[in-house]
Parts: sequence; C-alpha cells; structure tokens
Amino acid sequence: MDILHWITSHPYQTAGLILPIAIPLILFQVLPLLVLLERRGAAFIQDRVGPSRAYIPLPGLRIRAFGMLYNATDLIKLLFKENFVPPFAYKSFYWLAPAIPVATGLLTPALLPWFSPILYQDGAGVSSLTGTLITTSSGLLLLFALGSLSVYGVVLGSWSSNSKFSLLGGMRASAMMISYEVSMGLSVLGLLLIVGSFNLTDIVEWQGHHTWGMFVQPIGFLLFLVSMFAECNRNPFDVAEGESEIVGGFHTEYAGVKFMMFMTGEYLHVLVASALLATLYAGGYELLPFPVPMLADTSGFVPFLTTVFRPESYLSLDTLWVKAHLGGVVAIMLGITAVLVFVFATLIAGRRRNYAQQDAQDRDMRLREYGIYCSAFTGLGVMLLLGAIACGLFMTTQPLVAAGTLSPQPIYPGWVNAVTAVLQFHIVIGKTLAFAWLFIWVRWTLPRFRYDQIMGLGWKVMLNIALVNLLITAIVAKAIGGGR
Amino acid sequence: MFHSLDHLLGSAYFTLFALASLLCGGGLLLSKHPINGAIYLIGVMLSLSGIYALLGSPFLGVIQVLVYAGAIMMLVVFVIMVLNQARDHRVPRFDGFSIVGAIFPIALAAMVVKTLAFADASTIDPAAVRGEIAPVAATMFDLTPAGPGYYLLFELIGVLLLVAVVAAVMLAKRHLDSPAAPAAPAEGDHAQH
Repeated sequence: MDILHWITSHPYQTAGLILPIAIPLILFQVLPLLVLLERRGAAFIQDRVGPSRAYIPLPGLRIRAFGMLYNATDLIKLLFKENFVPPFAYKSFYWLAPAIPVATGLLTPALLPWFSPILYQDGAGVSSLTGTLITTSSGLLLLFALGSLSVYGVVLGSWSSNSKFSLLGGMRASAMMISYEVSMGLSVLGLLLIVGSFNLTDIVEWQGHHTWGMFVQPIGFLLFLVSMFAECNRNPFDVAEGESEIVGGFHTEYAGVKFMMFMTGEYLHVLVASALLATLYAGGYELLPFPVPMLADTSGFVPFLTTVFRPESYLSLDTLWVKAHLGGVVAIMLGITAVLVFVFATLIAGRRRNYAQQDAQDRDMRLREYGIYCSAFTGLGVMLLLGAIACGLFMTTQPLVAAGTLSPQPIYPGWVNAVTAVLQFHIVIGKTLAFAWLFIWVRWTLPRFRYDQIMGLGWKVMLNIALVNLLITAIVAKAIGGGR
Repeated sequence: MFHSLDHLLGSAYFTLFALASLLCGGGLLLSKHPINGAIYLIGVMLSLSGIYALLGSPFLGVIQVLVYAGAIMMLVVFVIMVLNQARDHRVPRFDGFSIVGAIFPIALAAMVVKTLAFADASTIDPAAVRGEIAPVAATMFDLTPAGPGYYLLFELIGVLLLVAVVAAVMLAKRHLDSPAAPAAPAEGDHAQH
C-alpha cells in the first residue's frame, strides 16, 4: 500500500520511472508498421497486388488485415529456421555481429525528445520531466557516436563470415558509411551553429520558437537527408547487397534469427534516421511550422541567433500555445484523423464494389471481409469525430499556477501535461513515418548507384557543398548575430 | 532517497566499467589474433568513456566513443579486414619487444599509484562538471592575451593533420601512377580455421 500511495502522490516521478522501460520499446512498436508500409508501398509503386496471401481462417471468412499478418509469418519462419553456422566462420564475431545494429538502434530512442519538458510543482519549487531519457548537452554527438558504432555490425559480420561475397559487401558498405559520416556531420553543423546547442531538446525548442530547421537550413537538410540514406544502406545507396554482383552482401552467410536481427537493425536505422530528420529539421514534437499565434507575446522570446542559451525548464512558444488551446488543438487533430479514416473507408468500399462485380471464386468471402473493414473504419471515424467534438466543446485548460509566480511560465495540471505529451508523441511518430515513407518511396523509385558514383558524390560533391554551406552560415550568423 | 540511489548506482557503474576495462585490457595483452586485439581495445575505450562520463566529463566520454572507438578503431579494423594475410596470421603473445614495452606502462602505473596514495581525497568534488561542452569551449577558445592559447595549438594540430592527409594522398598517388605496378596477388585460400 505504501508503494501505491507513493505512486498516486508522485505521478511525475512514477512516469520518470516507467518511461525508461517504455521509450526503448517505442521503435519496436513502430517497426511492424514500417515493414507493412514498405510492402504495401512497394506494391503500390510497382502496380502489384501486394501482400495478400496470409490470413486468419475463420468460418466463412478470411481476415488478411492488409498484409499485417506477414510480420507474424516472417517471425515464425525465421525463429524456427535451422540455426546454421558456416563451418568456416569465425565463430565469436559471427555471433556478436548481428547484435550490434539492434543494440545501437534500441539505444538511440533514449536520446530523442518525444515530448516537450513538463513543468510541475515539486513542493515549493518547480521540477521538470524531460522528454528524453538521457538529458545531456552533447546529445546529438552521442547519437552520432552510436551511429558510428553500428558500422561494426556490418564489418564484423562480413569479416567473420569468411566468404568473398560477404567481405566485398561489408567493405563496400563500411567504406560508404564512413565516407558519408563526414558529410553527415558537416551538414548538420550549420543548424547547430544557429541553434547554439547540441542538446536535442534545445534544438526542438528553438524550432518551436522560430521555425523548422528545414526552412532555416534547406541545403543542410538536403545533404543530411542524402547522408541518412547512405548511413541506412538504403537504395539508391544499397551497394552492400547487390544481388547481381555479391549476392546478399555482408549477410550472405546469415540465416534464421541472426539474419532477422540484421534486418531488424536495418529497419530500426531507417526509423532512427527518420526520427532524427523529424527532430532536427521538421520541428520534432512541435505542431506548427511557424508559431505565429504566440508571436504577440514576446515576454519569453529567444533571439534568433544565440550562444548563451535560455535557462532550464523553458518551454517553446509552440508548446505553450498547444497547452493553452489544448481542447481546440486536440479537436482539430482528431478531426483530421477522422477525415483520413473516412477517406480510407471509402477506398475500401470502392475496392469492395470492384470485388462485387468480379466473378471470383472466393467472392463472398472477400465481400464479407471487406464489409468488416468498412464498418470497422467507419465506426472508428465516427468515434474519432465524436471525440473531436467533445474535446472542442468541453476541454478547457486553466494553468494550475499562473506564469510569473513559481516560474516564468505557467504550470498546468497533470492531465493537460499528459494529453499534451501524448499528442506531441503522436506528432513525432507521424513526422517519423512521413520521412520513413520518403525512404520507401525513394527505394522503389530510383535505381542503384554504381560504387564509384557513390564515392564521387560523397567526397567530391556533398562534402564541398556542406563546407561552403557551413562557411556561408557562419559568415551570415556572425554578420547578423554578432556576439562572441 | 534518490541521492543515495544515485550514489549506489554510480559506484555500481564504476565497478562495472572498471572491471570491463581491466578484462578487455587483459584480453588485448593475451590475444593472438589482430582482430581480437582490436575488438578488446574498443572494449577498453568504451568502458573508459563510461568512466569519463561518471567523473563529470560526459563530453569527453562521447568524444572518446565518437573519435576513438567509432572512427580510429574503425579504420584499424577495416585495414585488418582488408589485409588478407591477417585472417589466419597469429602472432606470438610475447616476444623480445614486449619486455621493453612493459617498462613504460609499469612506470606509469607506479607514478599513478604513488600520486593516488598521497592524494587528499577530501579535496576532490565528484559532482563537479569538468569535461562538458561549455567549459571545454571556454577553455579552448579563450582568445584573451592572458589566456592559455590552446586555440593556437588546436589550429596547428589541424594544419598538421591536413599536411599528413596531403602527404598520404601524394604517396598513394605515386604508387598508383608507377607503370610497373605489380599485379594484385591472387585471392588467398579462404582458409579453414
């Protein structure tokens, strides 16, 4: 009972204890969605039917869940495959290598801000619960350090497999990743120069005060995007695994669960790269690209260029605006989601009408299945719409402690903080999935580069553009901002 | 409650990192295969970076991972991987050079032990932040005439590295341009361990 009492009287501390377990699992929750998105996106771009065979058999009905079941079938297949280790492999590193990309991919969410810092009254003072697990002033550097460690998975896996194809693929991949790390670091420096901090929460808060990074540093954004494609070994930079030349590349000799871990690492890196792009250049958890509504209130305004950063526990204008108008914001977001769900239900209904006209063997079964989807999504849309109306009418927020008494900014009650955190978390995930869709789109659209083209692009083009971009940014920042 | 918990966790982490670095260091000394040695060295660097972070220098720890474990050791592993010979080439653990090489670490260890034995532990503030970005930047780029002038050394080292890169490119290019470049040796047998 003591524990229960402590939990109810210390909600923020309890959240601080739960989040370290929950946040590393976030990416695992989004992973199946990304795999599904990749499968359906590939089918959509290539004008195929896509994943449609796996189903749950019910009497008179087959639930295929849009190909979601393929995740389960993949998992079952890979888990029960023979755990084959080539006799010529260097055993210790052969076993170690697949774990490295997964480990680094699971560590990175701890550094990304998933919601804005929450201010709460702690006794007589004010404490804050940050949206990152590891709050350090060198957060971005640590992220890059973890990214550079993940290359060891490729290197050790390819070397220990003791096969020509693996070694060639591993050499290609690691040389490319090392090369593009240079332009990745240099392209992000322009943004860091303007923001004046390596702390990812600070970078996002700065964007909430002014504008998203992609509008401040468009060239840096494009360079970083291309470098991220290379870092993830994604098409058009997927020379690590050229089927026509080197079979599967560095994971040629891998099968079963170890292969699955390499693939998990790859998709985790796509998610991490998308989340990083969203955090650095698309405002992270901030809702609006330009926080116009609060510009009238300049009391807590941070200068555009600064090296002396604001004090701790300082919320951006965007977050404050969201908290002050939480009901309306939630209503609009739920309304947009409801509209999207209705559009999806209409698409499903159109597909169902197509099936009704065809004379297929399993016509009745498909009609029943699509009827269930139709009614389920319509019901979801109606519920979302009702929720939106309810939020818009009844959700009003009042600060618990007005601004200027305990802290320069207002302190809101717990439920407002919780709703805001959930909303901001969904904003981050939405932006991440949007960038992940860009990755998928590019992968199924562009052909693979030749290896010398990749190296030429990395060293002769992107590095130079990044350096010039950094130089111009530094000159402009010095001319406008002055300072030290 | 939380203060003592932090204290306990800090001690636990320190013990963990110290043991890991000692184990990896021992493995580095005893390993016969170059790539084993390289991986043990990475282990030493990673655990040292953890100790740096515990000692109030997270920035130094991150830089240790980013530069040493992530970049320099990456190149070392890469070279070992490319050298086909290294695959089955095992060197003896100790030879004549090891005796000379052992003198300096032992001397260094003796000096450290002597310093620590006579140090006044009460003057050390474990909570002080030393190697964080702001203090490092303020010390390094202190442009005042009375300052330490580290920025000059920083620039000089940068120029030195640039010269080294240019020299390496020149050497590699000369090798490429020579007409009588020997044909690449045939791919060695993909050996069975």
